[in-house]
Amino acid sequence: MGTPPFTMCITSGKGGVGKTSLAVNLGAALTRTDRKVLIVDGDLGLANVDIFFGLSVDTNILDILANGSDPLACVSFPLDNLGVLPATSGVPEMVALGPGDQDKLGGYLQCLFDHFDLVLIDTAAGIGASVLWFNSFVGDNLVVLTPEPTAITDAYALVKVLSTEHRRHRFEIVVNQVADTEEGARVFHQFQMVAGSFLDVDLNHLGTVVSDPLVGKAVRRQKPFVLASHFGPAAQAVRRIAADLDPRVVTAAASV
Amino acid sequence: MAAEIVALREQVRQLEASSRIDALTGYYNYRHLMEALAAEMERTRRSGVPTSVIMTDLDHFKQINDTYGHEIGNAALKQATRVWHAAIRQVDVACRYGGEEFVFILPGTRFGMATRAAERLRISLARTPLELDGSRLNLTASFGVAAYRRGEEMSVEGFIDRADRYVLQAKQAGRNQVAFDRSQLALQETAVSASEKALLTRITAAGDDEAPL
Repeated sequence: MGTPPFTMCITSGKGGVGKTSLAVNLGAALTRTDRKVLIVDGDLGLANVDIFFGLSVDTNILDILANGSDPLACVSFPLDNLGVLPATSGVPEMVALGPGDQDKLGGYLQCLFDHFDLVLIDTAAGIGASVLWFNSFVGDNLVVLTPEPTAITDAYALVKVLSTEHRRHRFEIVVNQVADTEEGARVFHQFQMVAGSFLDVDLNHLGTVVSDPLVGKAVRRQKPFVLASHFGPAAQAVRRIAADLDPRVVTAAASV
Repeated sequence: MAAEIVALREQVRQLEASSRIDALTGYYNYRHLMEALAAEMERTRRSGVPTSVIMTDLDHFKQINDTYGHEIGNAALKQATRVWHAAIRQVDVACRYGGEEFVFILPGTRFGMATRAAERLRISLARTPLELDGSRLNLTASFGVAAYRRGEEMSVEGFIDRADRYVLQAKQAGRNQVAFDRSQLALQETAVSASEKALLTRITAAGDDEAPL
């Protein structure tokens, strides 16, 4: 019997808040303690986890369904302990998948997940069917927001849908692209205050990532910034988040 | 004398109860449905918590009757209602609307929750074929879901009609499915209200005021 891995969605509501970047770098940071990490590109329509690693891929998550491909064979390994299950760019959304196909996909993913200690799913933006499906599928939900009013409102809308319609009540919050940690604390505090008075949720401020020019540079170089030799405040913040999550991965693995 | 009165009262109570139960399925009948739904809608008006209903119609029921006879038709109705009974909550009120049509009242239940409950009912029946002598008869049904919210002008009949419209839609879309107004799901249940938005966006405004120059 394998031990169940720690599974977490990285999700946001609004696009462009740094979801994929966080997923990729958090995953990379977690391999430093010899965890076997899988990053699933859950953005079935506009996938780009592969691009963050400079991978060229020819199989993807939907091949598993369409051709019955071996899920593990669809995984690329840009790093020794880090696998990526890519999605496709430019195909219609998962809405097209009926409930039967969704069950099937869930079954395949579950088998695949058993090969890893920790699975991060980078979802699409918005509150579409695939976003809600992936968020209901995992054990933990991490919501990324920035101080932008639209990002805050969209993150809130997502938390609201997941808590009222999908019985998710605990969320990890990462405030991204802030000027300093005080701004991160302020944004989280306000978010928690509103959520606390309107929703049945329990929020944990997992971390704050300050704006850092090295982040954009890493994307253009197609390499995770936590692994770059030149180390900035964003890398430090993400490593701290990874260090906070790491003990929970042990707990997940030891719980059987 | 007193014992006779007690016995009579008990008889009246049993008659009263049986006049609300459908003999074939054990579900509540039309009469009870209308009364219970009126009561739940009143509760919604007082409490503000919505009431949902799921309406369902067994697929190809006439064909089952014509092909296998009414006895098997009745067995199919019994099978479906037994499977559904196991899949609903204790608080839900299961009623036979007439023929092969059933209505489930989901008290104090939001629309989104009700649509998922309907999906569970659909799946549970589709997975449980009726065992005949030496063969299996696959049973499915089409479902429509509707919710009643405080402030809406609607009669009990209007509420059921609303659900019935989506049963028809589910039939037209190929049967064995759940149909409902998707726009309502997004708008009414999970929309971020103006007061939530105002509070949320105050973060940035406050942040700007306090930001050091």
